[in-house]
Amino acid sequence: MTTKTSLLKVILLGDGGVGKSSIMNRYVTNKFDAHLFHTIGVEFLNKDLEVDGHQVTLQIWDTAGQERFRSLRTPFYRGSDCCLLTFSVDDNQSFLNLGNWKKEFIYYADVKEPEKFPFVVLGNKLDVTERQVSTEEAQQWCQENGDYPYYETSAKDATNVAVAFEEAVRRVLAMDERTDHLIPTDTVKLHRKPRSAATCCS
Amino acid sequence: IHPSSDEDGIEQDLLVSGSLRIIDKDGEIIVEYRPLEDTVDPSNMLCAGKDSSSVVEWAQCPGERSHQLLETQQSYETEWDMVNAVSFKRKPCPNGEGESRWAFTFSVSDLRSITVKEEGWTFLIFKLKESSTTLPTLHFHQGGSREFLDSLRRFVCVLCVCRTPDDETCLIVSTPNKALSQSFENLLDDNNFGLVHKFKKDPYVTTLGGFSKVTNYIFDAFRGTEEQHQRPPEEVADLLGEVIPGLEINQQEEPGFEVITRIDLGTRPQVTRREPLSADDWTKHQDPEGRMIQIPHLRQVIFKGGLCHAVRKEAWKFLLGYFPWDSTLEERKALQRNKTDEYFRMKLQWKSVSEEQERRNSRLRDYRSLIEKDVNRTDRTNRFYEGIDNPGLVLLHDILMTYCMYDFDLGYVQGMSDLLSPILYVMENEVDAFWCFVSFMDQMHQNFEEQMQGMKTQLIQLSTLLRLLDLAFWNYLESQDSGYLYFCFRWLLIRFKRELSFQDVLRLWEVMWTGLPCQNFHLLVCCAILDSEKQKIMEENYGFNEILKHINELSMKLDIEEILQKAEGISLQIKSCKDLPDSVSSILGFTSDVSGSEPSNPGSPWAPRATQRQDACSNGHGHLRETSSHNSCKVAFIS
Ligand SMILES: Nc1nc2c(ncn2[C@@H]2O[C@H](COP(=O)(O)OP(=O)(O)O)[C@@H](O)[C@H]2O)c(=O)[nH]1
Ligand SMILES: [Mg+2]
Repeated sequence: MTTKTSLLKVILLGDGGVGKSSIMNRYVTNKFDAHLFHTIGVEFLNKDLEVDGHQVTLQIWDTAGQERFRSLRTPFYRGSDCCLLTFSVDDNQSFLNLGNWKKEFIYYADVKEPEKFPFVVLGNKLDVTERQVSTEEAQQWCQENGDYPYYETSAKDATNVAVAFEEAVRRVLAMDERTDHLIPTDTVKLHRKPRSAATCCS
Repeated sequence: IHPSSDEDGIEQDLLVSGSLRIIDKDGEIIVEYRPLEDTVDPSNMLCAGKDSSSVVEWAQCPGERSHQLLETQQSYETEWDMVNAVSFKRKPCPNGEGESRWAFTFSVSDLRSITVKEEGWTFLIFKLKESSTTLPTLHFHQGGSREFLDSLRRFVCVLCVCRTPDDETCLIVSTPNKALSQSFENLLDDNNFGLVHKFKKDPYVTTLGGFSKVTNYIFDAFRGTEEQHQRPPEEVADLLGEVIPGLEINQQEEPGFEVITRIDLGTRPQVTRREPLSADDWTKHQDPEGRMIQIPHLRQVIFKGGLCHAVRKEAWKFLLGYFPWDSTLEERKALQRNKTDEYFRMKLQWKSVSEEQERRNSRLRDYRSLIEKDVNRTDRTNRFYEGIDNPGLVLLHDILMTYCMYDFDLGYVQGMSDLLSPILYVMENEVDAFWCFVSFMDQMHQNFEEQMQGMKTQLIQLSTLLRLLDLAFWNYLESQDSGYLYFCFRWLLIRFKRELSFQDVLRLWEVMWTGLPCQNFHLLVCCAILDSEKQKIMEENYGFNEILKHINELSMKLDIEEILQKAEGISLQIKSCKDLPDSVSSILGFTSDVSGSEPSNPGSPWAPRATQRQDACSNGHGHLRETSSHNSCKVAFIS
């Protein structure tokens, strides 16, 4: 059992500037680069971890947020096992946009059962003192939208970043167990996500 | 078959009718030709057409393909146990008379090329890789050759198509090193995930996956038996294909693939780079009134070596078109005065928008918010933009905001701060930087427009160039769902700004702005970088994700002089071709007037020679040699 490694695709979505790239870099390289460029196109990093005895390779995808790039961003939503909806606690607009990001993800990732899809919500920049979004507000949104786990993170001082990714993995594994398997890396994904348009001639 | 081939010329009127089948035998795809019983009777000659049309039927009913295929396999299963044992090599011309004399089979993996000729009807000539014996020519009196080729194309990659003057078409084919890993029957009968997965992982099948027809075919088959199982990268690639639609067009054309003509590119010339243009040399190119003189020479020098930093501030204004080359110093001063007024007039426009107004102007608000965020994330390690209260940041912000006023429809799009930053760094002046940026944006505008047409066009153009330069590599990328070259997105959007060190960006840009040695030189820069990376990518057998990652991670590891050297070499290599396909000439801006326009070239080592043209198709593909003995062999690629 422990020899099996699952490859999980996780995608970070949220407004530009909320800290998606910083969170990814913090988690994978454990560094915070205040000089980081804004993301252009799509990037991803891999990270191996063990959660509850399961070996997992997380493939973390990070995209550019601007509307203009939507058509070249959304194809990469396909095949995601988990979506980290990210806002910044010092930016109310980014919080208000969570719903749009969720919608966009569900639509383009072609998620079959949106109610069951594992979203995790991140309120980043916890270290900043001037908050615009309260913890309660955020928690309430998560509860009302599907009982999503909520983490307040800081990519800058590393608060809750690893914890949030581990929770994401747990959610995905829980989903998998319900559908009964943990599959080796090289066969990952083949058992999921039928296409809506699939016609059946049998 | 017309047995009256030139060699014996005896049985002049003889026609051998027969049937042609494509059969999957244990994963090996075999083409079989069997004469009918009473082959000698010319009245039966339509059978070749008739039977190949059963292949046609199978090909033309997408919904039923899988079933028909199954039937085919089942019905011939037992026969083929025997036939398969007799390979063509051992039995090139089985003894005796009548039907067996003309029957032949070969595995498509042994197939090298198919020549298609028209003479009122179509006939096909098959050539095998390791056999000097030519198979009998097949005449399709009743049609059906197209369908046969279409069907065959499922199992072989047609690497290029050569058209010779007498309307002969030669299809150079390639089959995968592995045979189709899982036979179709297994695949279709078995819901086993492992099998499906193996099938999907098989490089050959992924190669085929690039051809949409085949993709559909395979997926149609899946749908009947199991939910669809596309790997995420494949899904992603499919969707990207919808966003970048131009490449699909290639597949529509008769006979199912794009025809791009070209000839052998010959070897790539070695070029050397030179020293940057010095301040002294720059002033030598000015007349007493300050007009620039000997512009072509000047451009050439800048192209070959770039500029030393001291010259940039002035020279870039010319290169970008802010200053006309033939303007006098006085005229330029007047121009700058006007442009200064104009700039501040526009700057005042956004500066004077009250908070109240901005609250009701969501577009302006959004532009401002994006600019503020991005200015804080642009070249922050550069001394000009580092620290918290660096005036460089304010200038970057103000110029971008003013640009929104200059072109409100476009406004601010991510990536624009990257284009401005080096210009501002060089100009050290708000107004000059703004107008130089405006000029640069004139070139780059399409990249940032709503539909991102510029990006799509460039990706398609790059793909065209890459296929000419390195078909093997392009085919590899295509087989990895990466034929859209999406991984070059960032390169193209902001002209390598993120790929090179800041100083190298300055060098590359000034070289590009000379407009030399051809139009769209930056696409050749892409080709040069890819040329350096292809070995790694192919050896490591990178897939869609790994290619993207590898390319992203080249950032800051590239050597600009080496790249420029190679890119220039490529441009010379392409330019020296006499019969460049129009698509390529128009991308690079080479005039179609090739006759003697380059009289100096014939003696150069890379000039095309008639003898080289014979293996025109060998470019980029080791195992392809023979195409046509005609001099002007034109080549096309299937995509
Ligand atoms: N104080 C603080 N700043 C952060 C944090 N995470 C990111 N940032 C900063 O916020 C800006 C945007 O971050 P980035 O990762 O580029 O956001 P993205 O557009 O969502 O990828 C950058 O200037 C980061 O340095 C954080 O946790 N705390
Ligand atoms: Mg980012």
